[in-house]
Amino acid sequence: MRIKLKFEENEKKFIDRVNELSGENIYSCYQCGCCSSGCPFVFEMDILPNQIIRLVQMGREEELIGSKALFLCASCFTCQSRCPKGINIANVAEAVRHLIEPKGKDYFGPQEIPVELADELPQQALVAVYRKFSK
Amino acid sequence: MVNKKTKLHYYPGCTLKEKTTNLDNTTYAVMDLLGYELIEPENWTCCGAEFPLTEEKIVGLAAPVRILRQVKLEGGNEVFTVCSFCFNVLKRANEAMVTDPLKHKRINAFLKDDIAIDRVTGEKTTDFPEYNGDVSVLHLLEFIRDEIGYEKIRSLLKRDLSKVKVVPYYGCRLLRPKGKIGIDEPDDPSIFEEFLENIGCEVIDFPFKQECCGSYLSLSMPDAASEASYNILRSAELNGADVVALSCPLCYYNLDRRQDRIKEKFPEFHEMPVFFFTQLLAWALGVDEEVLGLDQHFCDPRSAIGIDKSGVEI
Amino acid sequence: MNSNGKKKRIGVFVCHCGVNIAAMVDVKRVAEEMEKYPGVAFSTDYIYMCSDPGQQLILDKAIEEKLDAVIVACCSPTLHEITFQNAVKLAGLSAFQVEIANIREQVSWVHTDREEATLKAIRIVRSLVEKIRFNKNLEPIEVDVTRRAMVIGAGISGIQAALDIADQGYEVLLVEKEASIGGHMIQLSETFPTLDCSQCIMTPKMVEISRHPNIKLMTYHEVESISGFVGNFTVRIKKKPRYVDEVACTMCGDCEEVCPEVVPDEFNLGLSYRKAIYLPFPQAIPGTYTLDIDSCLGLWPIRCSACRDACEVNAIDFDQKEEIIEEKVGAITVCTGYDLYSMKSLGEFGGEKYEDVVDGLEFERILSASGPTGGKVCRPSDGKVPKSIVFIQCCGSRDPENHKSYCSRICCMYTAKHAMLYKHHVPDGQATVFYIDVRTGGKRFEEFYQRTVEEGEVLYLRGKVSKVYKEGDKIIVHGSDTLTGRKVEMEADMVVLAMAMEKKEGTEELLRKLNISADTDGWLAEAHPKLKPVESINAGFFLAGCAHGPKDIPDTVAQASAAAAKVGALFAKEKLQHDPAIVPVNEELCSGCEICVNVCPYDARELDSEKGIVIVNEVLCEGCGACAAACPSGAAQKRNQTDNQIFSMLSAILKI
Ligand SMILES: Cc1cc2nc3c(=O)[nH]c(=O)nc-3n(C[C@H](O)[C@H](O)[C@H](O)COP(=O)(O)OP(=O)(O)OC[C@H]3O[C@@H](n4cnc5c(N)ncnc54)[C@H](O)[C@@H]3O)c2cc1C
Ligand code: SF4
Ligand code: SF4
Ligand code: SF4
Ligand code: SF4
Repeated sequence: MRIKLKFEENEKKFIDRVNELSGENIYSCYQCGCCSSGCPFVFEMDILPNQIIRLVQMGREEELIGSKALFLCASCFTCQSRCPKGINIANVAEAVRHLIEPKGKDYFGPQEIPVELADELPQQALVAVYRKFSK
Repeated sequence: MVNKKTKLHYYPGCTLKEKTTNLDNTTYAVMDLLGYELIEPENWTCCGAEFPLTEEKIVGLAAPVRILRQVKLEGGNEVFTVCSFCFNVLKRANEAMVTDPLKHKRINAFLKDDIAIDRVTGEKTTDFPEYNGDVSVLHLLEFIRDEIGYEKIRSLLKRDLSKVKVVPYYGCRLLRPKGKIGIDEPDDPSIFEEFLENIGCEVIDFPFKQECCGSYLSLSMPDAASEASYNILRSAELNGADVVALSCPLCYYNLDRRQDRIKEKFPEFHEMPVFFFTQLLAWALGVDEEVLGLDQHFCDPRSAIGIDKSGVEI
Repeated sequence: MNSNGKKKRIGVFVCHCGVNIAAMVDVKRVAEEMEKYPGVAFSTDYIYMCSDPGQQLILDKAIEEKLDAVIVACCSPTLHEITFQNAVKLAGLSAFQVEIANIREQVSWVHTDREEATLKAIRIVRSLVEKIRFNKNLEPIEVDVTRRAMVIGAGISGIQAALDIADQGYEVLLVEKEASIGGHMIQLSETFPTLDCSQCIMTPKMVEISRHPNIKLMTYHEVESISGFVGNFTVRIKKKPRYVDEVACTMCGDCEEVCPEVVPDEFNLGLSYRKAIYLPFPQAIPGTYTLDIDSCLGLWPIRCSACRDACEVNAIDFDQKEEIIEEKVGAITVCTGYDLYSMKSLGEFGGEKYEDVVDGLEFERILSASGPTGGKVCRPSDGKVPKSIVFIQCCGSRDPENHKSYCSRICCMYTAKHAMLYKHHVPDGQATVFYIDVRTGGKRFEEFYQRTVEEGEVLYLRGKVSKVYKEGDKIIVHGSDTLTGRKVEMEADMVVLAMAMEKKEGTEELLRKLNISADTDGWLAEAHPKLKPVESINAGFFLAGCAHGPKDIPDTVAQASAAAAKVGALFAKEKLQHDPAIVPVNEELCSGCEICVNVCPYDARELDSEKGIVIVNEVLCEGCGACAAACPSGAAQKRNQTDNQIFSMLSAILKI
């Protein structure tokens, strides 16, 4: 549980890219934790939504690559609707997913759908899940 | 005398034509009774289901903008949906065309090369005007409140729903993101309650009405979705409701069709009937039971609205 | 021209302000350039013009060089104009022969190119040389002062201010819109950081108000309108009928007993009920019943008159009418306090829906020995003693996106106090506080907070709560603890929301009447955030307490005493001096078009219908120049800032 902060060029670039892609200002988060308090899926997450933001603030791209939490965000915007700083956390999660995708594996591809479900699934769920979670 | 119907654009979305025809059919039925002839935009496609959240993925805006442009080309200035997802994507895409000049420019440039057949003349067109976000996107709940009016609804009621103890379930897409998109205050909404009251139901307040049901995580993280859905249904029950009313086919999938899987994970779970709001409206307006498509439900909702097993009203 | 009709000899003094100016402006070059400028007889630079040697330099050179006028190129005139005016007065010059060229705020602090900045500084100084050539010596306008003050609002701030002014020997009108004085402080249970009982320390002051020979207490009164200017205000005050004769009422309570009408009691924030005829609380000042006409069934003979029939001393008078009283005062102190932000605005916390979700003030009443539960901590819904209470901080504060951007300053402390007092009442109870930061800046505040945590065994969790709802008779709270990185879901019997403070309802309306300003959040604006914290920008108005922004009682009282001292200083003056740099009317040029009358924000101008021209009330005119800009005939020109002067300044600035 130790990190050495070096503020290197690539870390800075990662932060800038997240800001650019998400259209949010990561630095404006003051870590109140409200997003994590309200998120309906934290019970399955390895890190909390506020920690996703925190790790971006610290430029910790590597640590985010393995995070399951990014793929549990259902873009429900509960956090966005209550964040005192107006940060759209779902946009940030999507931006981080986008940046780490080339480095990680496909999180959810067509091969993963159980055959017996194929019949009953609403189309919108299929479209949405590919959009979100595959390269 | 034949009543002339008002023409109105309606975007159903893919799921309604396949998995939840009950939502589509009841929408047609009630709108007919209310005096509207619905027009689906020519050659409509899937809206994309999810609004692209990052700048890089804006090509996802092409589909919804194309649909809206089509409405405009057909002379419409408003289009309504009943699916919350479609509503959300269309409304956000429309909003982006108004407020985000960069997106407006990029998407219009991208759509410039479209080819289509003119409906009236049958000629091939490639000459599309720019789309500037001037079609208004409405959810049927808004359309009923603002344009049809509850008064009219009340005057047409044929059946008594006063025994139906119902919770309104908004989910995410009708209310969020906060700002210009939602149809009501994200944390203090009332439009769905008003609607249900005006069709004669007993409305029950419950704290999970704006909570997420699990959305598409039911594919990628089925367990997480089951727990989210369970929390909602349990809260509805604890607060004394007999049924849930909603407007989104994916919420319906998670809250009704997946009740067996919820039960697997939470054995103490009690099944609860789930209705689309249009089904309740149709029933209240006197539409026949077959149109409601109640056999598509996992949890049989018949008794909740006073129909016995053999389909007879009691 | 100087007074002898000769060309003025002008001196220029360029200040370095340490490096504040010198780092961005080549001050030596400015001085050298100015030396060559027509009319400048002497020019130099110095490291700190405002220092003693700096002022001495100006004085010496003014005499040695026989200067007629002086320009100091330095910081903003709001800071040192008076310093340098006093310096030249010693050399026998008029204060109107000094001009400040602001080359700090307007040049060095806002530019990044030294060459450009230096050129700009030179132009600014030049323009002032052009102006000062035509400056006339003016005599201050003198006015009398009415040595009588009005204080609006009688919470602790208004009470303190009124007492301190009255003790200096001046008469005070204390105007309070409610039936009793006391404000919010009288509602509090015990007060941090010393936990003294609020009523015990406040009631002696309230009694003193009612007894003080210099204080005229006007409760159930509201300010209607105001006119005049510093030292000479005329106020019209509305007296609302209380339908009870204050003097005759013996507070026997017979009326209350028979009154059939029951309404929520605002003193207990609706946690209990009162009658339509009521005493706000036992120690109310003035000690009299008040008939609340909005909840009364209707005055006799229309419907009920039970109270009047029951009153043995015939104190109840249904014929009382609203009255307007006119008074003259010389200074006005605004102490109108605050409101708590409504729980309605935070739908996710259910404060409006669930009885057991209360705000901080409601909890004060629940804790109070004189409160609706008689000092027992019970929850409102069923009277059960809560075994677990969750306190949520920053409710509506520090939330620029949805609510208030500011920190309400007192809620960290009162939450700690609430948790501690709760533990005193219910020693086996669990108190949990959700916070973002704990701010304990005041004297002995940090120690108080730590005692709460240690002795009260209060669990502080660092995370903002997102949702509160009810399940059965339990309240469920969804929060988080960012220190361990966990979402926290917990049950509680009661939830206390530390709601933000906000401006008192009706403040805007009052401010419009007084013609004084507020900041963007609606708090009263002070004249200078550091150096004039108790004065309003408009002369004669002072402010104190939470009307000016969130603060605790110690700060409120300090500010009230400071405002009282300022009122005293104003009243100590023999005469008030008004700046003579006003905009007179040139009778020969004025056509009587009245355009200036309409643009004047101070109502200083009016048409003299006999002469057919406009006349100016010199005391009301603030010299803002709105009329000068509007006058089509050039009849309205500000003294020492005539059109002629402005045009010469402009050409000096535009000349390369
Ligand atoms: C829950 C809670 C607990 C607190 N606990 C503590 C504590 O323990 N220790 C501490 O130091 N501080 C505490 N405070 C802070 C304290 O309440 C304030 O610092 C103090 O009451 C401010 O006094 P005030 O006179 O400025 O305002 P107020 O008390 O609000 O008084 C203003 C008065 O002006 C009157 N008024 C308003 N408008 C008009 C008008 N237009 N015309 C005439 N009259 C008008 C009002 O009726 C009122 O009487 C607490 C605050 C809260 C909310
Ligand atoms: S709610 Fe907003 S400010 Fe608070 S931790 Fe989450 S992102 Fe940061
Ligand atoms: S948008 Fe994502 S992170 Fe935010 S509350 Fe919903 S699931 Fe959680
Ligand atoms: S007249 Fe009004 S105040 Fe008096 S007893 Fe009747 S209701 Fe109460
Ligand atoms: S004083 Fe404390 S509780 Fe109140 S707003 Fe400031 S930080 Fe939040």
